Amino acid sequence: MTGIKDKKSARMRKAVYCCVLSLLFVLAAPLIPYVIDAHAEDVTSSKANKPVALQHPGINLWNDVRQRNEVTQGSSQVKGVDSGILINKTGEDWRRFRMEMLMPYGAYFMAAIVTAIVLFFLLRGKLRLPGGRSGELVCRFTLNQRTAHWFAVGIFWLLGITGLILLYGRFVLIPLLGADGFSITASACKEMHNLIGPLFLLAVLALLVLYIKDNFFNRDDITWITKGGGMFGGHVSAARFNAGEKTWFWLVMIFGFLLCITGLILDFSVFGQGREIMALSHVIHGISALILITVSFGHIYLGTIGVEGTLEGMTTGYVDANWAKSHHDLWYEEMSATAEEQQGIKQSVASSSTKPASSPAGD
Amino acid sequence: MSTPLERGVDMLKSQVDARVESYFSSCTHCGVCAEACLFYTETDDPRYTPIYKTEPLRKVWQQNFTLWGKLSTSLGLSKPMTENDLSDWETLVYDGCSMCSRCTMVCPVGIDIAYLIRKVKEGMAAAGFVPEGLQGASERALKFGSPMGLTSKGLLSAVGQQKKEHDIDIPVDVVGAEYLVMLSSNEVVLYTEFLTAISKIFSAAGITWTVSSKYFEATNTGVQMGDSVIAAQLLERLLEVATELKIKTVVSPECGHAYTTFRWDGPNILGRELPFNVVHIMELLDQLRKDGKLKTTGSFDERLTYHDPCNISRRGGVLEQPRNLLNQVAPNFVEMNDKKEMNWCCGGGGGVSSNERAEPLRLQVFNVKKRQLDELDVTTMVTACSNCRTMLEEGLEENEMDIEVVSITELIADHLA
Amino acid sequence: MFEQLVDGIFWNIALIVFFVGVTWRLITVLVLRSKRIDYSVARNSGVSGAIMANIRGFYPRKEVSGRIRLQVIAGYMFHLGFFVVLFFAAPHVKFIAQNITGFTYMTIPYWGFIVASEIAFAGLILLWLHRLLNPVTRLISKRSDHIATILVFVVMLTGCMALGEASSELRVLHRFSVELLMVYFPFSALMHAFMFIPSRAFTGVLLGRRGVNV
Repeated sequence: MTGIKDKKSARMRKAVYCCVLSLLFVLAAPLIPYVIDAHAEDVTSSKANKPVALQHPGINLWNDVRQRNEVTQGSSQVKGVDSGILINKTGEDWRRFRMEMLMPYGAYFMAAIVTAIVLFFLLRGKLRLPGGRSGELVCRFTLNQRTAHWFAVGIFWLLGITGLILLYGRFVLIPLLGADGFSITASACKEMHNLIGPLFLLAVLALLVLYIKDNFFNRDDITWITKGGGMFGGHVSAARFNAGEKTWFWLVMIFGFLLCITGLILDFSVFGQGREIMALSHVIHGISALILITVSFGHIYLGTIGVEGTLEGMTTGYVDANWAKSHHDLWYEEMSATAEEQQGIKQSVASSSTKPASSPAGD
Repeated sequence: MSTPLERGVDMLKSQVDARVESYFSSCTHCGVCAEACLFYTETDDPRYTPIYKTEPLRKVWQQNFTLWGKLSTSLGLSKPMTENDLSDWETLVYDGCSMCSRCTMVCPVGIDIAYLIRKVKEGMAAAGFVPEGLQGASERALKFGSPMGLTSKGLLSAVGQQKKEHDIDIPVDVVGAEYLVMLSSNEVVLYTEFLTAISKIFSAAGITWTVSSKYFEATNTGVQMGDSVIAAQLLERLLEVATELKIKTVVSPECGHAYTTFRWDGPNILGRELPFNVVHIMELLDQLRKDGKLKTTGSFDERLTYHDPCNISRRGGVLEQPRNLLNQVAPNFVEMNDKKEMNWCCGGGGGVSSNERAEPLRLQVFNVKKRQLDELDVTTMVTACSNCRTMLEEGLEENEMDIEVVSITELIADHLA
Repeated sequence: MFEQLVDGIFWNIALIVFFVGVTWRLITVLVLRSKRIDYSVARNSGVSGAIMANIRGFYPRKEVSGRIRLQVIAGYMFHLGFFVVLFFAAPHVKFIAQNITGFTYMTIPYWGFIVASEIAFAGLILLWLHRLLNPVTRLISKRSDHIATILVFVVMLTGCMALGEASSELRVLHRFSVELLMVYFPFSALMHAFMFIPSRAFTGVLLGRRGVNV
């Protein structure tokens, strides 16, 4: 009995082994071409310089299609930009750049700056107003200047967030939302980014017109820079804008306009621009955007929690006289002088009683 | 006994009508009205934004006439009106608004803000938040017939003085005269030249007219204060006198709010049509000129400009008549930049002139007039409202400006053919 | 589930609240109106004053136009852009035909749609910033002004998100935000879209009778 039983179980075991093996074979079968391919590639790459003796009859056609030897443009019945190109060779370069350079290095860059800001804040803390508040207010930004600033802020972050989602969303949002969810988000972000985008040109132009006056560099800025902007102690003189603010202004102008131009090239692909121009535009667009976003972290830090009394200049338009004296002494002197000159007309230096009331009337 | 707050809120509730409903429903709080208001442009204080001055009425409307408001009030979610909601606004509506209604002209949704402020004043008056100056003036007006405390004796002595100094007979209490001329106390006490001027003109034109010794006061402090009861009482006196004297046409003198009160608001305050016509002295003079009854000679060659009194131009519609008259005698007449229905107020309308507390603010907002005049380089300013005239003279003196203020009627009388 | 609610019952509720609410508020004005008669003797016609005031209100007076440039420009940008998108964008025309009127009419090309919505976005953002930054508007603005602005902005943004017509979720989101706006409409300052007509008319009658052009 036991012998039969053993025989039976042995046969059973064999059958199971066979099944498992055949299953594994079936599963592994599709891999075979890859293995062979990989091997073949190894072979070709090791003999890269030696032409293969026996040529495939279609090899020249394929080399042309892949644009291996030269950039060629065929002709097609389909009339359109790049319709004569079957496979865009530079597309792969662009893809590599985006995936292997722009995304990782952009992320490192942003992370590094954020870490630096956090460390700085932990070390130095909030920069307090020396001598507290004087109660005397100085008009720093006009209503138009403030409107232009916040308009730019609004558009910049609408575009910044949608842009970052399009760039990094796959890593952050797919695990959260799933592939379907992310596809919806990405579609929404793309539409928003494309529609709101052109308004950034308006914003940058407005900033240019309204802020350029006091943003030209001069000799004082060199002293300011060599003293590190007073961030590490010591007092430095500055006019209405210090060298740091001026640098930020020109960064916004340069990269802002680059973003606008490349953005418009990407957004309105109806003016005959081909894939190569689009790919190049995208590279510039991505780099400029990441630079502006990263530097804006510093700008936001200094404008809010970094330095006491700065933010109110951009919200109410007025800053405390002590703030002006300590951070922009040259500008303060200039303002006081003109205020004395024009007394009776419109006071640039206002007392706190004429500060515009700011409490909103709630319902 | 109800508290002042309850009286005020009840009065404000009773003020809500179709216009209030549509005005508050359409306000988007765009702030354009502020840019037309001299109290805002000259002080840069956002509390002087015209629509903000109507907050007490808006709150009452919002809490009692809108669905959300009623809901949140019954659920205790919205803050109920407090006495401060009224008392804090007293200075805004009485000191910081001259009811010039320039804001009305610029509102994109067409809100007549002056109309709303007039209603806020009703609530203020009912609750007793009225500046002392105005309160006193209205008490005097009810007691003596004039806000300056001038009695009929005062008028008669002015009439006697005219006889003595200029040999002019002022017809008093003539039954059946064509025109009953009302006067503001200013014109009886301060600018008596006005009496001389009209009698000269009327006798040259050959029309019959009279003043009433019983009730001659053209101004109506009830209107300035925003108290319809007092306003109606004063108007009834006019009606009584006009009926007694069988008057067909009542002439409003050079006084802005007197004209709008008689001509436009009075019938509605009383709730019935008036049994006589009302014309402003400018309308009458221009009519006489057209009819060929008023002929002038010579010319006034100084460079002069015309200050449009708000109540006569913007709220009264008397826009061309003073200009026609000026063009007849003043070849060097120049217009200010903002004129006619968009003129800038002298700062003293709507009872501000009777409110001593408001004087520093009034002189501050006069800056806008100063700028207008500086642009023109004139030596004379003409106007058609004695209240404006006083305010302008004070403002000019304060700013040490050498400009003479005269009334059109006097200017015309000086050049009668 | 949510999609069916938004396309079905929510839409019906929103439509009813919107139309009944607006009509009710307009009737309130008209009914209260009948109580008042002007007893003064008119100089000019009040009716023509009302009509003139309604036309005149569309352009700023030169005496203040320099001081209100931003409100005027941004105001027109928003309103014109918004109306073009609302009434002439192809998806909206199709929707209105299917759900309300039953017939289609002229639509603008896609690029016109995009330009109009960009102008509307810029206008709305500028107006809202002006509301927040100008001391006058900051003081006088009510919570409902901000809620209305945010709702309109959300409607426009979700509409923009759904532009790709890639998924029904985005379309439903847009429709839902529109329904919220429609329900809020009759009880808020958004009513100015209708109320400006009687308002201008009242003032126009008053001043027209006096011979003053508003």
